This record gives sequence, C-alpha cells and structure tokens, in this order.
Amino acid sequence: MSPYLLEAYIVLVGLVILMLEAFVPALRKEHLGVFAIGGLVFGLVLLFVAKAPAHPEGNVEMARFYAFDSQAIFYKGLALVCTILVLLLAIDYRAILAKFTENPGSEEGTGEYYALPIFACAGMMWMASAQDLVSIFVALELVTITFYILVAYMRRNVGSLEAGVKYLILGALSTGFLVYGIAWIYGTTGTTDLSLMAERLQALPSATPALFGLALLLLALAFKIGAVPMQLWIPDVYQGAPTPTTAFLSVGSKAAGFIITLRILKPFMDRESVPEIAQHTTFILLVLCGLTILYGNLAAIPQTNFKRLLAYSSIAHAGFILLAVTAWGKGSETTLSTPQAVGFYLATYLIMTIGIFFALVTIRNATGSEEIAAFDGLGKRSPALALAITVLLSALAGLPLTAGFYGKFFAFRLAIDADLWFGVGLAFIGVAAGFYYYLKVIRAMYWRTSDDTSPIAISPIARYAIGTLTILTIILGFWPNPILWLLGA
Amino acid sequence: MPSIAFYIFSLIAVTGAVALVAFRNPVSSAMAMTGSFIGLAALFVGLNAYFVGIIQILVYAGAIMVLFLFIIMLLDLKSEERSKPQPLMLAACLVIPILFLVQLTGVLQSTKDEPHKPLNLVASAKHFERAEGEQETIIHQNLAKEELPDVHLIGLTLFTRYNFPLQVVGVLLLVATIGVVSLSKRGSDRPAKPSTDS
Repeated sequence: MSPYLLEAYIVLVGLVILMLEAFVPALRKEHLGVFAIGGLVFGLVLLFVAKAPAHPEGNVEMARFYAFDSQAIFYKGLALVCTILVLLLAIDYRAILAKFTENPGSEEGTGEYYALPIFACAGMMWMASAQDLVSIFVALELVTITFYILVAYMRRNVGSLEAGVKYLILGALSTGFLVYGIAWIYGTTGTTDLSLMAERLQALPSATPALFGLALLLLALAFKIGAVPMQLWIPDVYQGAPTPTTAFLSVGSKAAGFIITLRILKPFMDRESVPEIAQHTTFILLVLCGLTILYGNLAAIPQTNFKRLLAYSSIAHAGFILLAVTAWGKGSETTLSTPQAVGFYLATYLIMTIGIFFALVTIRNATGSEEIAAFDGLGKRSPALALAITVLLSALAGLPLTAGFYGKFFAFRLAIDADLWFGVGLAFIGVAAGFYYYLKVIRAMYWRTSDDTSPIAISPIARYAIGTLTILTIILGFWPNPILWLLGA
Repeated sequence: MPSIAFYIFSLIAVTGAVALVAFRNPVSSAMAMTGSFIGLAALFVGLNAYFVGIIQILVYAGAIMVLFLFIIMLLDLKSEERSKPQPLMLAACLVIPILFLVQLTGVLQSTKDEPHKPLNLVASAKHFERAEGEQETIIHQNLAKEELPDVHLIGLTLFTRYNFPLQVVGVLLLVATIGVVSLSKRGSDRPAKPSTDS
C-alpha cells in the first residue's frame, strides 16, 4: 500500500465520525469515541503494511514533500498511539466535558471532541513526513488550529476560554515568526526543500541571513515544543484546557514539534560541510536548552496544582530532549544517534505522561479537584492507584529501573560525548529539582491524611490504561529494546 | 537603488500600520489597515507580482476588511480607554524591537545589495518550451507575445507542484469550520437528555 494513503485514510475516519455525529442523533456520543479509536487502530495496522514507494520519482509532486523513512514511520506510530490514548482519556473525561459544553447535563456538545483529535493526528502524521518548509508549515498549522479549538472546547468554563485565547495569540505570533523565518531561508538559499538545503548552505557567500532565518524558525519551534523563550503560555494553557487536550498537547504536539525540529536542523547541524553554521546553531541551542531545563525544573518546585506541575515538568522534559538535540551525535554501533535518543525519550515520555493524566482524570472525577492536596491520603484510600502513580512519577523523575531513566541516560550520554559540560551541569541540577517536586506528590499520597477515606472510583478504561502503562514503564525500565528496535538501533 | 515609487508605497504601508496601532477607535484602525494593505499591494505590483497585488486588494482590503467592520459594528466596540503605560511593558516594547532592528541591520549589512533586474520574459520562456506534441496553453501563447501569464503560472504551480500542501490546507479549512461551529453554537431547544453515566 502506498504510504500517501495513510493520512487520507485518517482524514476519512475523521469525516465519518463527523457525519455520524451530525446525522445519527440516536448514537451515544461516547460510542463515537469508540468508533474513532477503532478507526485509528486500523490505521496503525495500515502503517505496518505501508511500504515506501519503489519509484518515488514517478510521483514528483508527492516525493518532494513526503518522506517515508524509519523516522517518519516511528513518529507516525507515535502520533497514532497518542491519539488513541487521548481519545480513551476523552471518553473517561466526558462527564466533566459535558458540564461545560452545550446543554450542560447532556453530552450533546461533546461529539466534535472525538473528531478533532483525529484531524490533529493526520496533521502530526504529515509533520512526521514533511521534508519541505512548505509542507512543514501547512501541516503544523493544521495541528495548531485544531488545538486552538480543543483548548477552548469547554466554552462555559472561563479557564478553558482564557487558555484558548492565550494559546491563540501566542500561536499566531509564533506562526508569524515561522513564516518570516521561512521567507529569509528561502530568500538566501533559493529553496524550501530541506534535502537540497545542505548544499545550498555550503555555497552561501555569507551565512548571516540564513542564520537569522533559522533563529526565527527556532522561535516558532520553541513554541511547539514548549521551550524557552516561548514557554510562557504552557502553565496557563495546560491548566485551563480540558485534561485530554492537555495530555495531547504535552505529548503529541511536542513529539510532532521535535520531528520537524530534527528535520529542519539537520542541514544546519552538519559539522563537516557547514562547520561555521553548525557552531553557531549549537551555541543557540545550548543556551535555549540550558534556560529551558532551569526554568521548567525550578519553577515547578513551588506549584500546588498538579496539572500546573505537569505543565512545568513538560517544559523540563523539552529541555532534556533539547540537550540531546544540541549534542547532535551521529551515533555508532554502541551509542544512539540524536534522532534515535529523541525518539526514545518521546516514546517513554508518552507512556509515563499519558498514564499520569489518566490518574489525574480519575482523581478529578472522584474529588472534583486537580490540586496536589486532592492526592492526600491516596495511599490508604486506593493503594493500587497510589502505587501506579508512584511508579509513573518516579519514572518522570528519571529513577533507574523505570523507562524514564533510559531516556535521560541517552540524552546525557550524547551531551557528554559532545563535551557539552555546561548543559550537562544544568541538567543535573534539573534532575535533582525534578526528584524534589515529583516526590512532593508521592509524599502527599502516603504521608498526609485526608478526611475522606472512601476508595476512589476508577472507571474500567482508566483501570486498564493506567495498569498497562505502569507495567510498560517498569518493563521498559530494564528492557528498553522494543522501542530501540522500532528506532532501528 | 530602488525607485522612488518603492519609498512612497513603503511609507504608505508603514504609516497605515502605525496608525492601526495608534488609533483608539476600532473603525479608524480598520481603515488605517486598508491603507497599509494598499501600500503593500503596490509593492507587490512593483515586484512584477500583479496577481498577488490585486488579490491583496480584493481579499484583504475588500473582503476581510468588510468582515472586520461587520464584527466591530456587531459587537458595538467603543473607543479603547487609554491605560497608563506600565514602565516594564514599555521597556519590553522598546527593547525587543530595537534588538530585532539591530539584528536586521547587521544581517542586511553583511549581504551585498544587488540592483533590481527587470523580468526577462524571453529568458524565462525557456522554462516553458513546448514539448513535442504538447498542447499549446495560454502560458505558451502569452510568453510568445512577451506577456506575463502570472495568473496561469500561479494556478499551474499550485495545482501541480504544490498540490499536496493545497490538499492539507483544505483539511485545515474544514477543521477551522468545525471549530467555529462547535465553539459558537447555541444549545438546542430540545430538552436535555439525562446523562446516562454516573
């Protein structure tokens, strides 16, 4: 099967869900979510069946914009898995969603919430394949515009609306930077095709205009991945948005942002052919990565709202991944290359983060609160849930024998190989701070007591999802090979 | 050295943009934006991009401006109250553009300023030489007459080489439409069905 049909199929699934929503009013809305998940699971099957076209040059229009290498396949899979989990989360979250949409009390207004993530997923899959600045731009805008809607979806909730407006304004600003950067790069190199960029950069009389364009592009990418200096929106938007959207933003949107960051940086980080440009780019990235690690980890310490804490932790993780990007290791038989380390980090990050968000939705459904105080006494109320949260949080902190450890380990190793001691030093401070603020939640669960001692009600979806993701976190902690095989290492 | 027209229209565009921010009445701001767009359109025409220039006026100064005015009238926006400028905000508003300007000047100084070359249609026509047996299109006819078939060229590029991004933009517009509907629809009059879950 031709890979070009993959995204067409995903868009079709989205359209079918929309049509069902509109024309079959008898259908219960959460069943739309189940159909959507079914469609996306079949999409995963198609992804394994799809083969790169034998003669891509026969279809010039597509071949220029669409790469189907192992990296693209990996990130497409990541986008699909993430969307499936987010839809499960949305089904679990629908009671709260219904409260703040049309006709509160019924689920009338929640139908589109199951269709929109599918379009975002198609956009992320296009981003995974994009190898031309034009297709990067359109795919990225598709994802961003879908997220504007998903963030503001609970329109009877002031927090969600405020988050939507903030995301819209900063998103529009970063789009401006992106287009302006693309214009500069096109103006200096005469091409938007990233595969031709390397040789064009080599032939430039002066690298300054291209670097100026790249700096603007990096600003826009920093918005997508949640890095300094475009990180200010993250805490407010993450806190205000519906929780499934927050999970989607923090995993799916970030992963898609990193794949295009890797693709855009590739010609600029080529140390052999353009040493001068690579040196400048490394310096910019090192500054961004150091500031991101410091900001994310240190600002997370005083937080009392768990969703806000996860927002800062999301910035911190973007910083650790940027450390691997800054190192830009080529990889050898014994070490991972930068794209592999980034892919591994994002895959483990997906498992841990979505697990934690399932737990958060469960707690929110039961207690109506997202504060850390809502976790008080959880160790006595629901020991199994508390244990799962403990494992997931320690994995996010990077405790050895959990999946989170290997992600950080590979990033650090790349940075040490590249002699980025400044970045490594800051990252160690970040990891230490991380242990402190994640353990604060664990302390609340086991050392604090709550007046309410009844066990927390867990829906079957959340039970299976949290269970599976927690077990995966532990298994990948001492046996990370499955993800490494997918990455071709 | 750019021609005098470049400076005149740049001045119109920049004045319009500054006025857009400076005016307190939203309707005046919208009108100032029209002025800015017209200056911009003239600049496009100066770069031989006639089609883009005309579209700039038709779509932006025409359609989008009418839309803006409708929204302003519908929402009945009053003149904005002038708030006292915060010193920190003011400093940030000055420092960031100045940094940007310094950087831009640095970049422009490191590149050579090449004189503007008029479009050579005879040389460009070589890219569109008719293959054996190919049908003669308007692009060929116009180029033979040394006229610029820019509408046809844009159409050809958009629907052949850039067909894929165009399709993605189609999905994007669909999503935007869904968003408008789902974020602005009123609750239906039907009695709310009781929620079935606990």
